[in-house]
Amino acid sequence: MLKIKNLKVAIEEKEILRGINLEVKPGEVHAIMGPNGSGKSTLANVLAGREEYEVTEGSILYQGQDLLEMEVDERAQAGIFLAFQYPVEIPGVSTANFLKSTVNAVRKAQGREELNAAQMLRLLREKIRMVGMDEKLLQRSLNEGFSGGEKKRSEMLQMALLEPKLAILDETDSGLDIDALRIVSEAVNQLRSPDRAFIIVTHYQRLLNYIVPDFVHVLYNGRIVKSGDKSLALQLEEQGYDWIKEEADSVAAV
Amino acid sequence: MSTIVQDRYTDARARFQMLFETRQNRPGSQGSQVLEQYQRKAIGLLETVNFPTRRDEEWKYTSVNRLLQPDYEVGESLPLSKADIGPFLIPGLDCHLFVFVNGIFQESLSDTGSLPAGLTAMDIAGALADEQARPAAEAALNRLLDGKTDAFKLLNAAFSQHGLFIRAARNAAVEKPLYLLHLSASGDKASFHNHMNLVAAEPNSELSVIEGFFELPASEGAYFHNQYTYFHAGDNAHIHHYRLQREGREGFLVSNVEIEQEGGSTYASYALDLGGRLVRNNLRTRLNAPGTTTNYWGAYFAKGEQHIDNHTFIDHAVPHCVSNELYKGIITDRASGVFNGKVLVRKDAQKTNAFQQNNSLVLSDKASMDTKPELEIFADDVRCSHGATIGQLDEGAVFYLRSRGLPDAEARAMLQHAFLAEAAENMKLEAVRLYAEQLVHSKFGE
Ligand SMILES: Nc1ncnc2c1ncn2[C@@H]1O[C@H](COP(=O)(O)OP(=O)(O)OP(=O)(O)O)[C@@H](O)[C@H]1O
Ligand SMILES: [Mg+2]
Repeated sequence: MLKIKNLKVAIEEKEILRGINLEVKPGEVHAIMGPNGSGKSTLANVLAGREEYEVTEGSILYQGQDLLEMEVDERAQAGIFLAFQYPVEIPGVSTANFLKSTVNAVRKAQGREELNAAQMLRLLREKIRMVGMDEKLLQRSLNEGFSGGEKKRSEMLQMALLEPKLAILDETDSGLDIDALRIVSEAVNQLRSPDRAFIIVTHYQRLLNYIVPDFVHVLYNGRIVKSGDKSLALQLEEQGYDWIKEEADSVAAV
Repeated sequence: MSTIVQDRYTDARARFQMLFETRQNRPGSQGSQVLEQYQRKAIGLLETVNFPTRRDEEWKYTSVNRLLQPDYEVGESLPLSKADIGPFLIPGLDCHLFVFVNGIFQESLSDTGSLPAGLTAMDIAGALADEQARPAAEAALNRLLDGKTDAFKLLNAAFSQHGLFIRAARNAAVEKPLYLLHLSASGDKASFHNHMNLVAAEPNSELSVIEGFFELPASEGAYFHNQYTYFHAGDNAHIHHYRLQREGREGFLVSNVEIEQEGGSTYASYALDLGGRLVRNNLRTRLNAPGTTTNYWGAYFAKGEQHIDNHTFIDHAVPHCVSNELYKGIITDRASGVFNGKVLVRKDAQKTNAFQQNNSLVLSDKASMDTKPELEIFADDVRCSHGATIGQLDEGAVFYLRSRGLPDAEARAMLQHAFLAEAAENMKLEAVRLYAEQLVHSKFGE
């Protein structure tokens, strides 16, 4: 589904990703961990199509297509979804209108019939329940004044509505209370299916108790320096990143 | 006042004077001796003032050159049916409708309904002959002609044919709004339309007035609509004033709105300017007694070659008054916008609260916006603030919307809508707000 080869990315001349290789197959859940500033959000944003990042080398294939050639909205229409670490606040755009527009924009692009008002309402209600969001938020401006947890739930609601093929969650668990964490995890688990893949960026092993990953990768200094199964997350939880940094730095020094 | 010699627009003035003389013999003037005298006085005074040039501080960013070039003739009535005016009626709004075409009142298209006990609406000629209405009408006309005046106000006073006098009687809460609909179309020659409203809200009354200015669909050429509206808000009176405007590609609109407020009164202006070749709005309020509230909410959207200029003024002459002002707008293509918001807080106007904000989005290299807040504060115990921003769309927000599958154009339109909506949100009458949104929406589609 997704093949990242030797991906190098710079921002303002500064190299941030320094040769990422990653393959994600349908149905898989990949967790990406790693210290602050290692490039996790950068990777997520490059996948979503953020233009400030300059891809200097490497390639990304998504469902056999050259992802880097696709526009931001084309990617979303083709099933890529990024739940942002810091969703932007958009004053004046009502959350409800926004959600309706995106659902139909994506359906239209995929050649599916657009939903009418009644169908839309039914869908919204169902998914709101699924992510445990307060319905009142729909009447407010998108993300404006939402609490940290509310923003994350709003991201999960969008994911549930858009039914992506590849969902990337950038620290969706940060800032969630324990109940919210469980609800969000359950939502992800409900969406897990043989033809849908997840990349989950997190700092906490706790989330991976709920959403059990197939692979865990450690991103450090712009490279994936270690990959393993869910036990790697446990090991990181206990030992921190120092041993990995040492390992990686000594390799780099050679 | 000295007589002026070196006026750049002497020719234009002479043409207007000539037009006035030929106009006298036309049917459609109200045939009132008293009004005639006022009109003659106005055209006489025109000799003593200049049309503004860009050397005048108040007109620095707006040139009337193009406006004054055409050889105008006074606009004529057109045979329109009710179906023709359908698109300009506000869905779901129960109102007293007054329709004017090219400045001429259209009885057959209007639907003034039966006016409730506390509401008077009659032509100014009639008001000058009416014992009850005359004092207020005369006071307003004298104020217009004797006070600090300008060429456009004088032209208006000279040429207005079916000016309206409107009065909400003491304690009357007028339930239905008045909708004064002005439709314009150019004729064979460029056409010139004038309309005057004199509105008196007596103590403790409440009144909503909606003014609509639109070009008729088949019109192509140049026209100039010159509007003057005066409100007097008596003690504790409440006035809601809506202005919706979408003139044609060659349409010129100059609107002067002047308000005087007595103690405890409220005046709120809700304006939507969708432009024309040139639109200039002057909105000026003078506060005469404490405890007043003045709200100016404005939205503007200029495209193509349009020019929209909003000049506002609030004169805090007395203490304990509040004013709020928010103007937001979008300027794109080769269009230009001007906002000049003057707030004067005089020495005695202690405990004044005055807030002003102007935010513009300028969306193309060739578009321009000149914004100038002008706060002059001579009192020391006041709370005043102002701010002005000129910016582009938040690209982070564009990215966010696109990352959810919205095509670029749709994402940008959504953000632009949202930007304008904030200024329109304040409109109290739901039907008017929805209609305004619809007008904005169709402008995005153009
Ligand atoms: N727009 C930008 N301009 C300049 N530097 C940037 C920009 N975006 C990211 N960086 C830098 O790139 C590096 C990687 O940032 P990134 O956000 O990808 O890290 P991260 O792994 O997601 O960290 P965290 O765990 O704190 O979220 C950091 O040093 C960051 O400062
Ligand atoms: Mg990050």
